[in-house]
Amino acid sequence: MSNAVKDIGERLMAFLPNLRRFAISLCGSRDVADDLVQAACERALASAERFEPGTRFDAWMFRILRNLWVDQVRRQRTAGVQDDISERHDIAGSSGEREAEARLTLKTVAEAITELPQEQREVLLLVCVEELSYREAAEVMGIPIGTVMSRLARARKSLAEAAGITMTAARSHVMKGVKE
Amino acid sequence: MTRTDFSDEILMRFADGELDADTAAQVERAMETDDELVARVALFIETRQAARTAMKPLLDEPLPAELKAAVESMVAEKTSAQAASATVLPFPLRAANDRRANRWLTPVAASLAAVIAGFGGYWLRGSAEPAPEGGLRVAAIGSPALGEALATVAAGEERQLPGSDQRFRAIATFRDNAQALCREFELDSADRSTVVSVACRNGTEWRVTFAVVAPGSSGGYAPASSTETLDAYLAAIDAGAPLEAAEEAKALKELQGGQR
Repeated sequence: MSNAVKDIGERLMAFLPNLRRFAISLCGSRDVADDLVQAACERALASAERFEPGTRFDAWMFRILRNLWVDQVRRQRTAGVQDDISERHDIAGSSGEREAEARLTLKTVAEAITELPQEQREVLLLVCVEELSYREAAEVMGIPIGTVMSRLARARKSLAEAAGITMTAARSHVMKGVKE
Repeated sequence: MTRTDFSDEILMRFADGELDADTAAQVERAMETDDELVARVALFIETRQAARTAMKPLLDEPLPAELKAAVESMVAEKTSAQAASATVLPFPLRAANDRRANRWLTPVAASLAAVIAGFGGYWLRGSAEPAPEGGLRVAAIGSPALGEALATVAAGEERQLPGSDQRFRAIATFRDNAQALCREFELDSADRSTVVSVACRNGTEWRVTFAVVAPGSSGGYAPASSTETLDAYLAAIDAGAPLEAAEEAKALKELQGGQR
């Protein structure tokens, strides 16, 4: 008989930190994220035999988790929950003091990521942080690959602007990388 | 041939290693003489690096003990359940498959007032069709008002169904493994029960493929047990990711175009 469940279980445990990180950056709250991670694990185990060996386990898990999240947001919105959880952010774990400071100076990269629109933030997370290919990210989010690219480019330009990653500062770095 | 009019997107793909070899070679060549281009590429390399560095601490955070324990026990439970069924029930392959297909029904069905899973399903037509006699009364299923709502109400919106005391709430739109357009929705009745349902497009009709009647709860809003059943069902039909608002609007529009 298949070892699908056992195998998925092991991979799941090893993957929990990444899954949780993605969940936190999706919903902006650790508590909500932990529930979400748990629900995603449950669903993954229940449909373990649907995972195709040889495909990316991480992409499969991200898709499950993201679908649950999208559903949850819609349910809450229609149920008249006013406290929009997608607007609560504690990715950067920012204190009031830090927020005040950020208004005066440039934002940290983490803060700037937090403030990206959700659709840009998730694609940035999947491609730049979790290292999925554009194609894999498109499958996770159920959108065309062209949309992945346009959102990703926009995300990175606003990130650079907000966090003060300037082209000149960046340039010497790359020049080195390219010319050496 | 040299090109200097590279778009941001091309440069980003170059930085991410997602560009075809020919175009990548062109970018590389152009970068040798174009500092401005180098800087534009650098922006994408830097932002990738910066994002990864910024998100690293989140990965290093210790897992909350409760989360770890919950998932561990979930895994252990599933693993032992499978081991038990493998040794105690040496079913032939076909039987095993049947069991697998139905697994989603068993754990939560008991807690629900009713489960109507539409493998035989019934059809929503443009014209009124008599509701099935006796049994489950899911008033709006089968009504033209519901068909209309399915074809027009965007996910996240709700609407009172004309000529009925039910409220229709669109939850999501997605495609199933056969690429049919499906809508997940809820119907609240005056008696406070909520039907959690999925209808998929079949030709010019909606076919209800899944429905659970959740017992009444305050505020007419499906309790978790029924959505778990739904989740399992969606996994079983290999439902695609929910469509985004724009895509949903497009899909619904096409639907209406086809109808009229």
